[in-house]
Amino acid sequence: MDESPPPPDNQSPPPPLPPTGHTGSPTDFLKGVVGKKVIVRLNSGVDYRGVLSCLDGYMNIALEQTEEHVEGKITNRYGDAFIRGNNVLYISAAEEL
Amino acid sequence: MDPSSSGIQEPFDLIRLSLSERVFVKLRGDREMTGILHVRALKHMMGHMNLILSDVEETIMIVNEGEQATVSVAKRKMGMLFVRGDGVILVSPPSRTQ
Repeated sequence: MDESPPPPDNQSPPPPLPPTGHTGSPTDFLKGVVGKKVIVRLNSGVDYRGVLSCLDGYMNIALEQTEEHVEGKITNRYGDAFIRGNNVLYISAAEEL
Repeated sequence: MDPSSSGIQEPFDLIRLSLSERVFVKLRGDREMTGILHVRALKHMMGHMNLILSDVEETIMIVNEGEQATVSVAKRKMGMLFVRGDGVILVSPPSRTQ
């Protein structure tokens, strides 16, 4: 609400809200990154960078303009890529939401 | 609002649009293959990503352990192949792969 520091006489301050208008829900984050550039890291350590077309409840992912990065080097490019959800470690936003 | 330019609503649409096309598949265990997605196999694929491929070429990367690790590549061809879905990492329609 307001940016003033919490008054010292308050009992316990509420947990701080995340900045810039996002709610904390994972679903909201995922909805927000559809159509954006993302980094998808797999359990194997391989990264896929591309534009997130869509994803489903299994965290199966469709990516466009995908680059495969292994240890920081591009090892492959795919126009479209389907990634099976069980391999996914995380999805990270690669641009401002 | 259409979230993507290609009009894909769910990830499986990418597979659906690739039926009877040659796809690139990346598998666990440093294996890759290309093959033609069998048209009548869609039901199998929806649940688990089991794939039925024809005219398959498999590429296996074999890491030779040693002081200097080297990678050798083995290839083999198969007429028809059922791939269990849990081994699948990535599927890509290679028509748009450069």
